[in-house]
Amino acid sequence: MSGSREAHARHPFHPRGMAPHVIECKEAFMSSTTGATVDPNRTRNRIFVTLGAAVIVATYLYLILAQPTELAEGGLGTSALIALAGYLIGAALIAVGAIHRLPTATLSLIPIAIVINIAVGQLAATLGLPVYLDSIGTVLVGVLAGPAAGAVTGALTNVIWGLTIGPIALPFAVTAVVIGVLAGYAARLGMFRRFYLAPVAGFVTGIVAALVSAPIAAFIFGGATSGGTGALVAAFQAFGNSLLASTTLQGLLSDPLDKTITFTVVVLILFALPGRLRSRFPFVRQYNVFGKVTPVAPAEPAAPKA
Amino acid sequence: MTTTTLYLERTSALHRLNPVTKLVALLSIILAVFAVPHWWIPLGIVGVVIVPAAVLGRVGGRLLRLFLILLLPLLVVLFIIQGLFYPDGSTVLWEWGLAQLTTEGLLFALTIGSRLTALVLGSLVFVLTTDPARLMSALTQVGMSPKIAYVISASLQIIPAFQARAQSILLAQQARGLAIVGSPLKRARALLPLLGPLILGMITDVDERSTAMEARAFGATPKPTSLIVVPDPVGERVARWLMFLSAIAVVVLVVVGVIA
Repeated sequence: MSGSREAHARHPFHPRGMAPHVIECKEAFMSSTTGATVDPNRTRNRIFVTLGAAVIVATYLYLILAQPTELAEGGLGTSALIALAGYLIGAALIAVGAIHRLPTATLSLIPIAIVINIAVGQLAATLGLPVYLDSIGTVLVGVLAGPAAGAVTGALTNVIWGLTIGPIALPFAVTAVVIGVLAGYAARLGMFRRFYLAPVAGFVTGIVAALVSAPIAAFIFGGATSGGTGALVAAFQAFGNSLLASTTLQGLLSDPLDKTITFTVVVLILFALPGRLRSRFPFVRQYNVFGKVTPVAPAEPAAPKA
Repeated sequence: MTTTTLYLERTSALHRLNPVTKLVALLSIILAVFAVPHWWIPLGIVGVVIVPAAVLGRVGGRLLRLFLILLLPLLVVLFIIQGLFYPDGSTVLWEWGLAQLTTEGLLFALTIGSRLTALVLGSLVFVLTTDPARLMSALTQVGMSPKIAYVISASLQIIPAFQARAQSILLAQQARGLAIVGSPLKRARALLPLLGPLILGMITDVDERSTAMEARAFGATPKPTSLIVVPDPVGERVARWLMFLSAIAVVVLVVVGVIA
């Protein structure tokens, strides 16, 4: 670890993106801390993640495309089964495939992030706030350790939620996985280099989260995920929308707002952290997540306009 | 662990079963319940399988309480939304403004509600009668990654310490004049001074934790020896396959149209 930091510090400036020395630095870090990178199951894990993503996309597309004809026939058909099984299998495949790539430092971060998710989510509920705020930890891990870590955090948060508070939220595990993955990619794209870009990434994540979770709210919960959201769904239905359209609209009203706030909170917290702590994470250094030379390099001589 | 999770420590046949067997039973029930398009099947399974299992596991009282807290409000909301505002309802029983009480809406609410009841109550019986530590050991024995077991067990153990830390930060900030009463916006603003120190502390902890774990060669052995060995008799293994295959059979029968 110290070796990689020195290698990093020797470079006078740190251009954004994947400069060759950054990759070297990452490899040095990985090989010095864990032997896990030489994983015999690497291909298998890749297949798991790809398959999981494909199952989730296929589930969503099937539910969107096939649903109207089935509801017109006066029943639920197989929509509920496909929503539950497809999303759970997809989320589980991604989580299982992703967890093997994570180094020990990331693995020990995840439990704490899970507890933050649950504690802040409950706090927001008891304070009577109109937003969920139950994915702060997931976004935090996604930003600090990448999409794979974010996905694992999201999926396992729902498992812990099921074991401690109640298994009501378990069908929504896929939404948490999507949020973690998107937070990771947003960080990779540089959305956390400026504090005003993070809310934009949060807004977009919220839209995707709303779309993905709408079939769960519709076909498994019949629109009744809680009192307030249920009233909104009823109102949309009263104005002639279908059930899926109503839960989608309801999600689009609450999720983008919630995720914008979540991403803003996360970026504020991370900007307040000392750079030394942030740059401990190889993902942060590899993709230059916070835009500045945050590691031990003391001076930043006239960095090229980033 | 008993204080943070829903698990209730009792001595019963259900508690003694291998957790994997219970998990497979739960998944088979959920699969069957969501495949069959009749509302009385899920309710029948709740009455014949889930509630007797809760009584056998001596967790019936707690199950009833959790049902009243967690599920009943959702069911009430469900019947109000779908009973009164179901979009495709044609047989109108009662009308008031935009609200129409329709037979189709009530039937739809009944279908969703009975499945949801089976899903939630079944999962609750599983969680109430299964020690998380034993569950993790049993799942690792059948091939789950020890990393997943670590993350789940560690999270469950951190919760009390975390709550204590959050409480002391809250008290410290209140002593410095942080107001946690007032309008929602004011209360929301109180979140940041709480989260900052909490997360800072967390990231400092992570470093120590991962160093300690790596010093003990965490993840170096693909199949570590387990402290708790959960017995897995042949009978239970056979039962697992039978339950799983019959659930698949139900799904296949529904899809090809034998059960309609």
